[in-house]
Amino acid sequence: MKKALILAGLVFAFSLAALAQGYDAMPADALVFPIGVAGTVYEDMDLGVRGGTLNVSNIEDPRGWNNHTAHETSTTWFTYRMHRGLVNLDHISGAVVVDFAKAYEISDDGLVITFHLREGIKWSDGTPITADDVLFSYNDVVLNEDVDCNSRDGQILPDGTFPLLEKVDDYTVTFTLSTIYRPILNALSFNLMPKHKLAEYVHKLNPDVPAGTFNETWTLDTPLTELVGNGPYIVTDYQVNVSVTMERNPYYYGYDPAGTQLPYYDKVQTTIVANQDVSMLKFRNGEIDVYGLRPEDIPILLPEADAKDYSVMITDLARYGTTWIMINQDIGIPDGTDAEKRELYRNVEFREALAHLLDKDTMVQNVLNGLGTAQWGPVSVPSPFYAGRDVYGGPITENNAVWFEYDPTLAASKLDALGVVDADGDGWRDLPSGAPLTMEMNTNDNTIRIAYCLIMQDDFRAVGLNCNFQVVDFNTLVGQLFGSTGDIIMLGLTGGDEPNSGKNVYSSCGSLHAYRYSACEEPDEVDLRIDELLDLGANTFDLDAAFGYYTEYQQLLAHQLGYVYLCQPTFQYSYYNKVGNAFMASPTSTPAGNNGLLTELCFDKTLL
Amino acid sequence: MKRNGLRALGLMTCAVVFFSLIGFAVDYDDPAYVIENELIEEISNAAGLALVNEYIADYTAEELVALTATGRTPGIRLAADRALFVINGRELELYGMELDALATLAADGDQDAANMWFFKSRASYKRPELVEEYIATATVGTLERAAGVLLGGFYVPNSPLGAKTEAELVELAKNGESLGLRVAAATALTAIWVADQPLTISQTRAEILAITLVYPELALAYQGYLAYLFSL
Repeated sequence: MKKALILAGLVFAFSLAALAQGYDAMPADALVFPIGVAGTVYEDMDLGVRGGTLNVSNIEDPRGWNNHTAHETSTTWFTYRMHRGLVNLDHISGAVVVDFAKAYEISDDGLVITFHLREGIKWSDGTPITADDVLFSYNDVVLNEDVDCNSRDGQILPDGTFPLLEKVDDYTVTFTLSTIYRPILNALSFNLMPKHKLAEYVHKLNPDVPAGTFNETWTLDTPLTELVGNGPYIVTDYQVNVSVTMERNPYYYGYDPAGTQLPYYDKVQTTIVANQDVSMLKFRNGEIDVYGLRPEDIPILLPEADAKDYSVMITDLARYGTTWIMINQDIGIPDGTDAEKRELYRNVEFREALAHLLDKDTMVQNVLNGLGTAQWGPVSVPSPFYAGRDVYGGPITENNAVWFEYDPTLAASKLDALGVVDADGDGWRDLPSGAPLTMEMNTNDNTIRIAYCLIMQDDFRAVGLNCNFQVVDFNTLVGQLFGSTGDIIMLGLTGGDEPNSGKNVYSSCGSLHAYRYSACEEPDEVDLRIDELLDLGANTFDLDAAFGYYTEYQQLLAHQLGYVYLCQPTFQYSYYNKVGNAFMASPTSTPAGNNGLLTELCFDKTLL
Repeated sequence: MKRNGLRALGLMTCAVVFFSLIGFAVDYDDPAYVIENELIEEISNAAGLALVNEYIADYTAEELVALTATGRTPGIRLAADRALFVINGRELELYGMELDALATLAADGDQDAANMWFFKSRASYKRPELVEEYIATATVGTLERAAGVLLGGFYVPNSPLGAKTEAELVELAKNGESLGLRVAAATALTAIWVADQPLTISQTRAEILAITLVYPELALAYQGYLAYLFSL
């Protein structure tokens, strides 16, 4: 009897302890995701229930737990789930949305951004989060040159200055800019760090510690109980080479419309694996719940999907990035040769003829195994600014697209009209003067790029263009790119959501304006307008206006055919059907993706 | 009276036991019964595949080794073999091997090694034509069968490349010119039937009984489907 009473007392005590964790009620300033709300991008999602464990895998161990000094995704995979910033990218649309800030406003002159913080919100250890934490995270960590911080470069304004962050009150801060620059909003998504836990490790705040001490803070040797965050999860267990366990942050401020505190899953259990193949084996065996598959995985996963109750998403959503050929309009400038060829390459009619020879459908089918889509412009398709949409962040309609359909007959007639004909009867078209026209096409040792080039070489030759494809090593290719040598180069670029991040490529003086570096000295009207549109898009906080500028920018570049775009792989994903809302996985975010955004909205359907 | 009562009780007991046995004997929906009593290989194997997790839970490794060798039915031997595969971590062991070593094992009849050879080589077989070319010149049965399974993934109706209709697959499973092509069709057919669930357990049994000796790969397709039905 006595034992029973003691046991009952212990159970009661533990129950009280559990109740003491987290908020007593949904905070007035909670961040509510409109899950299931009609008219929002979340309308197709389901309300979930709390509980369960999401099992995922990650390649390689983390190298620490310090978000701002992490340089590798094997670490940020965890820290992005432990920390959130003032703003974030939307889970689904990719648009900049509020996160720890409940609202922000921009002054009439566009130079002051005022953030209103959520009140009554706490760090995972129960300490209130205030403006002091924001100032600490930005002024003492991100902008502190003593800290080896990745995100500092992203804070630089076009004139080389940094925004000035000041505290108005405990729940209001302002960033003052020297020049209007909307893309800074993306950069202000820097993650918040707890001043009360970390200030003592920053030399400028605590001269007793040596410079650089912060860089050695929250390492793998740090007791996990020391880690404090404001994101949905906190790391609670780490077994080297085996696994990382994250458990819900009891003070996370995200809720669903029914008042259920997020995240839904109690735990995220991450198994450390050697490579993606092992992840796939574990997925097939049901040891992990989601898997970012590759094209070669599809024939293995598809036949067993229904029997094992998982889904294989095969979408037509292009991934971030661009793939293109570049026709070198400055050919011969470095060594004073090829004047006629240069004149031809600079003629947009010639580039249009080549564009009509790009058989993108065959590239998708034969090279990407049907898992790709044709591209026409410089901005990644998932971007809310992609001009294939009608409005900022709207659905993709391709109403604004600029296509050059595969049409060898049309290409041949355009070449004829330019005087690029077979003058000497050797079977190959010549320059208008009658001099031979030979073109070399280069890419590096990449199977997909090589396959693209072989298809293009065949089609070029079929209309009498003497094109010879050569694989060169990557450094040689980059040397050609920067040195304006070679005829045609095939390469690709990574992409993001903000078109202005492509300024180094597409502005006339951009360091990667490789198709015509001379545009910096001799810009034409189109070059000047592109430069102007890049600035106009960045210098307004009106997203609709920015979308309009960037749409014109994308169409101009597509017509200009400096870089001529090819195809991009599409997005595929697989998940067990018990994972609620996993079907919302997209190139922007997945349940186990690096940015961690969708994780908190997924739930265990078996608990319903 | 006492004697009559005892007699009545005895008769009643016999009747209960008899009808219980009948009820037990015809429980073809229960894989636990089927695996013990069914001698048609595909049906027995279907039950075996459905019971692998139970075998993992119920038997020791030593007992499973014994069952793989002396199990009374094909299904028992298969269930024990698949359970051992899991318990011994054989999949990751095979994954850690070089392709040459896997090919050697495959040539000696190790189907798991053959499957792993194709799993590790699949990036070189991203298109159905490439797998079909491999099958056309295959000389090792286990590798041909593994290639067939991979090819079956291209043949399912929702595949972005190489999809075939159910009718085409049935024809291919029956009369495909090579083992690999017939296995491919069988793999895809199982996937289609699992998705559509066109037949009950008894109907699937009947289909297997009708073709088991005539069209072994088509029977294999039904075996996969029946295993799924048993696992529900």
